[in-house]
Amino acid sequence: MLKVPADESSTPWPRDDFSRVPYAVFTDEDIYRLENQRIFRGPVWNYLCHEIELPKAGDFVTTWVGETHVITARNNDGAVHAFENSCAHRGAKLTSAVRGNAKRLTCPYHLWTYSLEGDLRAVTFQHGVGGKGGMPAGFEKKDHGLNKLRVAIHGGLVFGTFSDDTPTLEEYLGPHSISQIDRLLVQRKPKVLGYLRQRIPGNWKLYNENVRDPYHGSLLHQFQVSFGLQQPTMRGGIKLDRDLKHTWNHSIVTEQDAASQKIVADAYAGTGKFNPDLKMADPALTRVPLDLGDNYKTTILSMFPTLILAQVDNTYAIRHLRPKGPDLVELHITYLGFESDTPQQTRDKLLTVNFIGPAGYISLEDGEALRLVQEGIRHRRPGGHEVLEMGGVGPIVDTDYLSQEISIRGFWSFYHQIMGLPAAGHPETRP
Amino acid sequence: MSDWTLQARVQAFLYEYAASLDEERFDDWVALFDPGNCTYEVLSRENRDLGLPAPIMGCYSYGMVCDRVAMLVKGVLTYRHNHLLRQVSNVRVRRAAPESKDDALLVQAGLVVHQSDEEGVSSLYMVGRYEMQLTDVGGKHLIRRMEVVVDSFGIDTMLAVPL
Repeated sequence: MLKVPADESSTPWPRDDFSRVPYAVFTDEDIYRLENQRIFRGPVWNYLCHEIELPKAGDFVTTWVGETHVITARNNDGAVHAFENSCAHRGAKLTSAVRGNAKRLTCPYHLWTYSLEGDLRAVTFQHGVGGKGGMPAGFEKKDHGLNKLRVAIHGGLVFGTFSDDTPTLEEYLGPHSISQIDRLLVQRKPKVLGYLRQRIPGNWKLYNENVRDPYHGSLLHQFQVSFGLQQPTMRGGIKLDRDLKHTWNHSIVTEQDAASQKIVADAYAGTGKFNPDLKMADPALTRVPLDLGDNYKTTILSMFPTLILAQVDNTYAIRHLRPKGPDLVELHITYLGFESDTPQQTRDKLLTVNFIGPAGYISLEDGEALRLVQEGIRHRRPGGHEVLEMGGVGPIVDTDYLSQEISIRGFWSFYHQIMGLPAAGHPETRP
Repeated sequence: MSDWTLQARVQAFLYEYAASLDEERFDDWVALFDPGNCTYEVLSRENRDLGLPAPIMGCYSYGMVCDRVAMLVKGVLTYRHNHLLRQVSNVRVRRAAPESKDDALLVQAGLVVHQSDEEGVSSLYMVGRYEMQLTDVGGKHLIRRMEVVVDSFGIDTMLAVPL
């Protein structure tokens, strides 16, 4: 039995099972700055891009690691390197392009030039003009490269880290993540069908909660329930990694789903939201067959801190979170097809994209949910906590059911540890 | 029909298009599409420039156009219900095949959408352009193909109501 303190309001993390989360983590500027230092520049693997976006030597893409702007490039040897998009001289942004191809990177300000490994290759007038001026004798180009990230790749996903303490990528990901990455990105070679960007006025961690929260799936997203895409009675569950930081949640198509419509109707009675008689004028969207052949209806792999690999029905996408301050996050979606897709399968994916993204029948509502939470917690009395008890309190464990918030507690447990916050639990109840 | 008459007719069509959405007369909006053959897409300029095919919103039949707004009307979707004002400008019209009897028109126009919340605070929601093919059905212009190409592809919160 969990011991509950009499007065929790003055304690940031009053319960050591993380069933209470202080609202301040979503709004506080100091916490946000600390996250950039301890998480994004700390011992984590940050998603950078997929290798298919860098097919040729000289190809580069830019992305965000927390608030840091990063260039990821493929050099002439085929190796992938990553470094900050800021000149070692006076700090100017080297490129404003989102992606491109270049033999070298030249700063527009004083034309300092860098290799695709991020090393400084040329300093204009390094030796002065006519024997006058120039850099001092002790200036060494090798000491003035761009700030680099260590890079590692699994299943085509390119990750970078600023820290020397980060474990190997395989160890960091763990077996559940690796098997899901292989399932979605390795057994078929992906190709990019498009990018979708959604600027959600909410904290980046609210989205991490959202993807670890199958409880809301069939409640907020009535489209899914109305057309049988997802139901709270569906078979499914969650698996966590060893550190509890990544969650894989999934639901599976079973023959009982049709029969469970009655249970669903009872559960929604009085909410005015459930409409089993809803029909679509053109139901083609809801009839696209699952093409992976393993009956998983939805699988969401949420990897700490900002990467989600999602299969929602017959859509496949890499979702990346790019925090823009405590109150705003860009959700950047790389929408995927596969090289082996037939023309019909490609057409199907250009139809099913209507499920996801900023205009997705399912996911547009997550943007609204985050906005409502962020506005709600901005404008309430100071202090206070989220209540995360659905599915049980206490130990943070895998489940074989979907209506739960246990995986959200897993996220907070790891977050609390990596942020180096004071011990959780109330002094009166701590053993 | 003179070019100026045609220009005026197309502008009036676009103003009705914008007003039907602004005023949430969604049945009137749907009635501007050709029931026999029509598509409606919202495309990100980023994807368009890269030659990538995925739309932000894509309706490939009249039924799909109807469904997009039916989900709003029937309360299926939970979305930010702002007041929107679409401003259409820089309208250009040309005949798809000037030499033939085909009456199809190709129309381009600029689009700016402002949003205003329940407390009367307004902001810019969307910048983009319409690229449209109109067809003559029984003396009336209807939309055969509509592409809304958005420069604001970093979409503020969500895109629930068509543009």
